[in-house]
Amino acid sequence: MSETPSLSTFRRVSKWYGAVIALNDVSFALRPGITGLVGPNGAGKSTLIKLLTGQLRPSLGEVRVQDVSAWTAAARSHIGYCPDADAFYEEMTGRAFVRFMARLRGYRRRDAHERSEAALQQVEMTDRADRKLGSYSKGMRQRIKLAQAIVHDPDVVVLDEPMNGVDPVGRAQLVRVFRQLADAGKAILISSHILDEMDTLADQVMFICRGRMLASGTLEEIREMLEDHPLKVRIDAKSPRELAGRMLRMDAVRGVQLESPQSLLLEVERPVEFFPALAQLAAEDDYEIERLEVVDASTEAVFDYLLRQAGQ
Amino acid sequence: MIQAETSIWRGGLSGSLCLAVVSFRRLFRSRQTIVSAMLLGFAVMVALAWSIRRGRAPEEFITQILIPVYTAFLLPIFCLCYATASIAGDREEQTLTYLLVSPLPRPLIYLAKYCSSLSLSLLWTMGGLILLCQIAGDPGRQTLAVVWPAVLASSLAYVGLFHLFGVMFRRATIVGFAYALFLENLVGSMPGIVKRVAISFYTECAIFDSAAMFGLGPAGHHDEAMYLPVSAATAMSALCLIAGLTLLVGILFFSRHEYAETS
Repeated sequence: MSETPSLSTFRRVSKWYGAVIALNDVSFALRPGITGLVGPNGAGKSTLIKLLTGQLRPSLGEVRVQDVSAWTAAARSHIGYCPDADAFYEEMTGRAFVRFMARLRGYRRRDAHERSEAALQQVEMTDRADRKLGSYSKGMRQRIKLAQAIVHDPDVVVLDEPMNGVDPVGRAQLVRVFRQLADAGKAILISSHILDEMDTLADQVMFICRGRMLASGTLEEIREMLEDHPLKVRIDAKSPRELAGRMLRMDAVRGVQLESPQSLLLEVERPVEFFPALAQLAAEDDYEIERLEVVDASTEAVFDYLLRQAGQ
Repeated sequence: MIQAETSIWRGGLSGSLCLAVVSFRRLFRSRQTIVSAMLLGFAVMVALAWSIRRGRAPEEFITQILIPVYTAFLLPIFCLCYATASIAGDREEQTLTYLLVSPLPRPLIYLAKYCSSLSLSLLWTMGGLILLCQIAGDPGRQTLAVVWPAVLASSLAYVGLFHLFGVMFRRATIVGFAYALFLENLVGSMPGIVKRVAISFYTECAIFDSAAMFGLGPAGHHDEAMYLPVSAATAMSALCLIAGLTLLVGILFFSRHEYAETS
């Protein structure tokens, strides 16, 4: 775990609405970099985000941003929030909207103008910002939402499903902006269902389900933590049938499937034992392994596994 | 820490001023303005028809036009249109979240929204009153000189109440409409002291008592024993108290309430 100071902390936070528990004893620290928040619908992601952005107060525990309670106006000055809802003051232009948000944050007219122009430039919307928001495409609207979230140079930027409806080119541009912000020392929390993007985008991932934090850390850390997490490995070799016979004799291999005449798909139980054993086998016998690939080393696979564990 | 709080409130003042201006502009360009203009147009036609016959007295204008058409119907609707749409409109459009996550202290957000809806409501209530009184001719002008404080106080009370509805209820316009049309009229016309919970009762009392010189007395054409009127001073105090209390309760409620559904 990084030694950099945390910009926001959740300490044993629980939140319930009547008898329904939305968040259950959640603790974590948000540090500079990109953190992915992943979980199915109703997992508690929105509640967590609302607590962090000071829209809700915890029923138990404490949420702090830059060492002040997240519910206070002082904490909100450190937070930039890009909501999931596609809601705007539709009659405004993109430029007027971002400028208005800067004014709401207490900037004088001239400063608000400078801030909003810088934010629009960062999201590459300067030349299209004079159109009415109602006429924007979904991707342009997402960028304007992002611009208003960063207009006051916040320390913590919270992005709720920021990739929704954005085309691949737009996504690449947004990812570039997120990375720039992270490199500038900001803590970026991205809630998303697009798990594939989390793999390449997030420095850390937090898995949340049924109000509980199931796991958090880098994907590698999570994988190490889950020692019994079965791993799927694809091996391309010249004689896969013979190799399959040897593989089945290994304790760490749970199952073998012949995918094609050259390809084997293995279900491995204990990766830490498996890989050294495979290396020894390849050195001792001439199986001519051409390719070795871990096929489920994605956030989605880990997430599916965690969900199954949570359901048991 | 104190310095940070001070700068937040200082920045908050400039932010809330900007919010009030933007809210005013948005409310003015909303469908509420079209509804208000249509309703006032209808009242103007009624007043024009009323004014055709010459030699009418101010007392007739008050009992035939001002009370039934204006204070019992138009006045609460004008206030309802803007006061409930102010914060509840942002809530319905899911734009309230932008305000709630801004560093503006919540009391300032409430006050900014309140000021924008109050100024528009007053524009319609006081402007409408002046217009109708001018159309009614001399009886209207004589009436205007004595009833405007009651209409002003009544507007403040209604705006405060409907603004409070806006932060308390998700469908504030429907709740406000039901309240204005049914509860106010129903409770306001009940015999005895039950009607003393209705804003319309205090408005009427203030108007009747202020217009005593036109022969309306403290209870207008009602039976005084059944109507149980209060004096103009008491009615005005009650209206101002309602305005102040609803504003205070609204600020406190909005400052503490968690809007879980905003996005």
